[in-house]
Parts: sequence; C-alpha cells; structure tokens
Amino acid sequence: MTEPWIATKELCRYYQRGPQEIRAVDSVNLNIARGEFVGIVGSSGSGKSTLLNLLAGLDTPTSGSIAVGATVLSALSRRGLAGYRARQVGMIFQTFNLLPHHTALRNVEVALYFNDTPRNERHKRASEILTNLGMGDRLEHRPNALSGGEQQRVAIARALVKRPEVIFADEPTGNLDYENARQIAALLTDLNKEGLTVVMVSHDLELARSICSRIIKMHYGRVVEDSGAQR
Amino acid sequence: MTSYDLITAAADNLWRMKLRSILTMAGVLIAIAAFVSMLSFGAGNQQYVNDQFEKFGLLTTMQVFPEEDKNGSDSVKAKVLNDSALALLAQIPGVRLAYPLEAFEIEAKLGDSAATLNAQAISSEVARTAAMSQYLAGTRFENDSAHQAVVTRDFVKRMGIAEADSAVGRELVVTARLVRIDSAWAAIISDKDGAIRKRLRAIDRDSIFEPGYMMGLLRRETSEALRRFYSGLMNNRELVTETLTISGVIPGRHESPMRIEQVILPLATARRLNDGDISMSPASLMSSFSSGSLPDMFAPKEGKSYPKVTLDFDPHTPFKSVRDSVKALGFKTYSFAEQFEEIQKMFIYFDMALGMIGLIALVTASLGIANTMIMSILERRREIGVLKALGADDSDIRRIFLYEAAAIGTLGATFGIIVGWGIARVASFVAQSFMRREGVEAIELFATPWWLIGIALGFGIVVSLLAGYYPARRAARLDPVESLRNE
Ligand SMILES: Nc1ncnc2c1ncn2[C@@H]1O[C@H](COP(=O)(O)OP(=O)(O)OP(=O)(O)O)[C@@H](O)[C@H]1O
Ligand SMILES: [Mg+2]
Repeated sequence: MTEPWIATKELCRYYQRGPQEIRAVDSVNLNIARGEFVGIVGSSGSGKSTLLNLLAGLDTPTSGSIAVGATVLSALSRRGLAGYRARQVGMIFQTFNLLPHHTALRNVEVALYFNDTPRNERHKRASEILTNLGMGDRLEHRPNALSGGEQQRVAIARALVKRPEVIFADEPTGNLDYENARQIAALLTDLNKEGLTVVMVSHDLELARSICSRIIKMHYGRVVEDSGAQR
Repeated sequence: MTSYDLITAAADNLWRMKLRSILTMAGVLIAIAAFVSMLSFGAGNQQYVNDQFEKFGLLTTMQVFPEEDKNGSDSVKAKVLNDSALALLAQIPGVRLAYPLEAFEIEAKLGDSAATLNAQAISSEVARTAAMSQYLAGTRFENDSAHQAVVTRDFVKRMGIAEADSAVGRELVVTARLVRIDSAWAAIISDKDGAIRKRLRAIDRDSIFEPGYMMGLLRRETSEALRRFYSGLMNNRELVTETLTISGVIPGRHESPMRIEQVILPLATARRLNDGDISMSPASLMSSFSSGSLPDMFAPKEGKSYPKVTLDFDPHTPFKSVRDSVKALGFKTYSFAEQFEEIQKMFIYFDMALGMIGLIALVTASLGIANTMIMSILERRREIGVLKALGADDSDIRRIFLYEAAAIGTLGATFGIIVGWGIARVASFVAQSFMRREGVEAIELFATPWWLIGIALGFGIVVSLLAGYYPARRAARLDPVESLRNE
C-alpha cells in the first residue's frame, strides 16, 4: 500500500434537517491506493453510503476535497463529474438498480451510452462480459425473470463493462442469501486479484474481514478504525 | 448519447407506456388536424383568388388614366393620353405592351338578333396577352385584318345563344356609321334658303354696342351653330358593314375583372369600321359639348386622346416600379396587383384567425404533454438516478425527455396532418357536390400546400418541445443520491 490514489482531505457532508445539522460524513481523511480492496463497515446511519457516494462522484461534499489521481473531484463541473462516473467508476448497489423494462444485455449496454463507445462494440462487450459472469444464457431476460444473485451479476457486469478503475459497491450482498452472497463476494475478490480497486460498504463485518485487504470502521460520520492506516 | 440512442430510447419509453403515449399524441393530432384543415380552407381560398388573378393576367396588367386637373377650368395643363404618351408608356422598362382602349359604337347582328353596343379594337399582340387569353370557346382571331371577331359570353347570351361553343364559327354582321367632321362644319354655314342673310338682317345694328344685346346675340348664334353642327354630324354619316366570323368567346364583364367590351375586333378590321374623324358615340359627343371639352374632340387624329391605356408588363418586373414610372409621367394608375397586395394582407389575417383555433388546441395539447412528462418523471426517478450513476450528465437526461416530447409532437403532428388533410378533402368533396347541385361552377376551396404541412409539423414539434422543456429540466436536475435512496 504505497502511493495514495484516492485521497480525501477533511471531507465533510452535512445535511440540514430543520435546526439540526446531520454530519453524515465528518472530516474524513482517507488514502486508498490502487489495487486495494477496502471494506467500509459501521452501524446503520454511520455515513458509509454517503462516503461511498462522495467517492463515486454521485454526491458533492459540503467541504473538504477528494482527489482521484490527478483529478480533483470537487473542482469538476456537474458535467465533468458525470464524465468521471461514466469512465472511471463502476457502481454496485444493494438493490441492484437494474432498469426493469430492459433485458439483461440492454442493462449492461446502457453503461456504455455515456462514454462514447460505438454501438456495435457496446453489444459485443456487454454480451462478452455477461457470458464471462455465467449469464450467457440469460442475455434476453428481464430483471424480474432473474434471481437476486443473477440480478447482482448483471449489475456487476454493468459496472465492469466500461472497464472502470475502481468499483464502489454499497452492500452488494445485503439482499442476497448466504450462498449467493458468497458467490458475489468471491467474484469481487477475483476482480480485485486481477488488479481492480474495490471499495465495498458492508454490514457484515465477518464477510468483510474474510475478503477485504483493509477495513475502515465508521461511527457518526467519522473514521474510527482503519486497519490500513496501521500498516 | 448519440441521436440514434436517444431516438431508440424515446421509442422504447413511449412504447412502454402505449396508452398514455397514444392519448397524449391524440391531443397533438387533433390540434394539428384542426390547424391543417382550417388553414387548408384559408390556403384554398387564397389559391383560388391567386389563380384567378394569374389567369386573367391581372398581376401583369396596369390601367393608365389621364390625370384630371383638379384645379378646375384650365384643362390644357392636364396630361393627355395621346399617341406620344402611349409611346412613352411603352418605353417604361418591363412594359411589353401599351395599348389604348378604343371603343366605338356598332350595330351587331347575329342570326335574327341585333343590338347596338360598343366594340373594342385590339391588336393581335394585345390579343396574346394573358388578360385577353381566357377563351371559353374557340380562340383568338388570326391577324390584325382578319374578318373575325371575339365576343364575350354576355354578348352571346344577349343574342339568344345559350352555349358559348355554338357561337364559334357563326357569322356576325357589324355595322358602324362613319362620322365625317367636315360634313358637320359644312352644316353650320350651309345656306339653304338664304338663312344666313335673314339672320344677318335680323341683327339690330344700333344696339350692337350695348353689352347686353351683344351677349344675347352671341348666345343665340352659338347655339344655332352647335345645333347645325350636330345635325350635320348625325345626318351625314356613312354606313359601313363588315361580315365577320366569331373566332372565340371570352368571359364578359361580370365574369372577368377586366373591363372588356362585348365585341372585340382585330385592329385593322376595326379601322375600316371606325375610320371617321370622331371616334365617339353621339351621346358622349353631346356631353362633351356641354362640358366644354369639345376642342379635344376636334383635334387631328394623331393627337387624339384615349380615356384609358392598358399596360402589359413582364411578370418579373415589380408592379411598383412600373407604377412609379407611370406616375412620374403624370398619369393615374389602377392595378390589380395593388389590390392583390391588399387581398394578400387580408388573407394573412384570415389565415391567422383560422390558425388561432388550431393553435389554441395545440396549447391545450401541450399541457397534456407537460402533464404526461411530469408524471413519467415521477415514475422514472429511480431510472434517472441509475442513468446518472452510470455517468449520464444533466444534458443526457434532458435530451432523453426532450426527444420523447419531440417524438410525441412529431408522431402526433404527422398523423394530425394526414387526418387534417383528409378532413379538407372530405369538406372539399361535400362543398363541391353542393355547388354542383346548386348549378354553380364547382370551385376548389381547400388546398394543403407543402408550406402548410411544414408549418404544421414545425408547430407540432416546437410546441411539444416547449411543453417538454420544463419537465426535462426538472428530470435533468434530479439529485441521483436522492433518487436512488431505498424507500
Ligand atoms: N438527504 C438527507 N437528508 C438528511 N439526512 C440524510 C440524508 N441522507 C442521509 N442522511 C443522514 O446521514 C446519515 C448517514 O446516512 P448514510 O445513508 O450514509 O448511512 P449508512 O451508513 O449508509 O446507513 P445504512 O447502513 O443504513 O445504509 C444518516 O443519519 C442519514 O439519516
Ligand atoms: Mg447505506
């Protein structure tokens, strides 16, 4: 864990709820190197998702900064931030978030709409990656015809198809049974072994410990424990 | 996203919500159909009027009149339409032909019917102008000295012939009285039974220097001279008769906006009939006497003046430039082109009034589009969030929704144009069969020109885009974190 790649400085994201200020993410200083598999754990409402969304460029900080390589996210325009999401980031959600009216193939293709991939290549790459993930015979199926595990595979295919530099996964196993959770976890481990940086939020400390190279624990918006920082 | 992606995405989304899309489109369809059928009526009427104008060559014809001297008595200063004026008018750039109205009285016999009426002489050049080329039957006369005549439908009817066709080829006997001015002069001094001596003797030499007496004497003698002049004119005319063949029938005064006499003769043929010194009917001659414009009437033939000159000009020459040139020469003009401009303006208002109805319907339809789009944004919050998480920027999302709005507008307008055109066709059919049943000429009152189709399509798309703009902007600005939050 040498050179920091993703670096946050005094990163804050506050919400105003009436007179009350909610510090969802509070002064987080974090360095993540390329190739790490970071697990973010913490109790519900501790700010894990908020932190992940900030890193993924889906949310913007109240104060502080995020740099990804040479890019300072907070300096980007809305459009620039969208470009960052389109080219460098793959996202995976607890509830899969597939488009329910489209086939598995189309759901994966959609990820290539926003990074100027030519149409014929979109199709090729999408079916390739789905086949690699064992979904080759389900290309034309809609999400409601797929099991939770299969849906999450499609979602992972969608995150991978754009060849991102980092995967942000928000409780990717949260809606899956034990067996499916293990398979998805194994899949993410394989991807990490191939060199992909993965940042995963999880409730399941045990699962996180078994697959992540580094565990970050959050409490009330702050990082209270970081196994990587000690190394 | 490429336009192709956006179009397929729009098609997908509209297809997914078939019923709602169809209902929204139906709003646009009805509005555009109303717009198209209404304006087809406007355009059809306009087309009809334009065709009439063009058919009669009204846009390339201008009437020139002498300028009346409004300052009163001194008529010498007024510009006269004589042959030198005619030559000047013919030289105006763009003017192809300048010809005077030369009408004279004739007696015409066709079969058993006879009538006294005015004939008009035109040259074969003039006969070829658009204004003179509206033949209901037959054709123009062959040349300037042909023993042929063209008559109007009024004349044919007056002569008891119902169909224009059956008048062509019939024999027309035309009789004119040639007036010799010298015979009129002679009558003044003609001294039958020593009248002059008697009159001279009646003058009281002693009172001749009393102003009152002198005035009375002069007045008496002048009116005596006029009486004699006129009776000389009337009684010494020679009759000339020509037997002609009717070569063609044209619309008459009531059917044509041109002022055309009932019998039209070739120029040289007319000269044979109208070779007198005064080309006026006795009645108008009398009125000239009393109005004091007599000297004009006695001017030599070369210097004679015309009441009206018609100009036939090149269609590429703007009528305004011809008009200005004519006015610069000091004449009054009357041009249908000028009326035409007014009529065109009127049609714009007419079309606007008709178009308003369609546009109001279109505004209503646009509210439907906006409503549909806002509904679908609420339903598709999560989808928008997902697309943004995948890297869609604001403009991608905005375009997705604008393309949907445009698709609704395009499809609605396309079908609306088809339906509107259909309505116009049906209305036209009904109107024409009604006209036929009433025994009038069935005219086409509906036209759906390309510009109307273009405008309708444009309006449909633009109004849909305007209606979709606010919802699309709202969709574009949705916060992805917010829209992806679970419950
Ligand atoms: N839009 C918002 N407005 C107000 N408060 C918010 C908003 N979004 C998040 N929060 C608050 O910020 C805090 C952090 O939320 P976050 O979703 O990041 O927690 P989390 O660690 O992901 O929880 P969970 O494990 O339940 O997913 C919570 O207290 C939450 O209520
Ligand atoms: Mg969370």
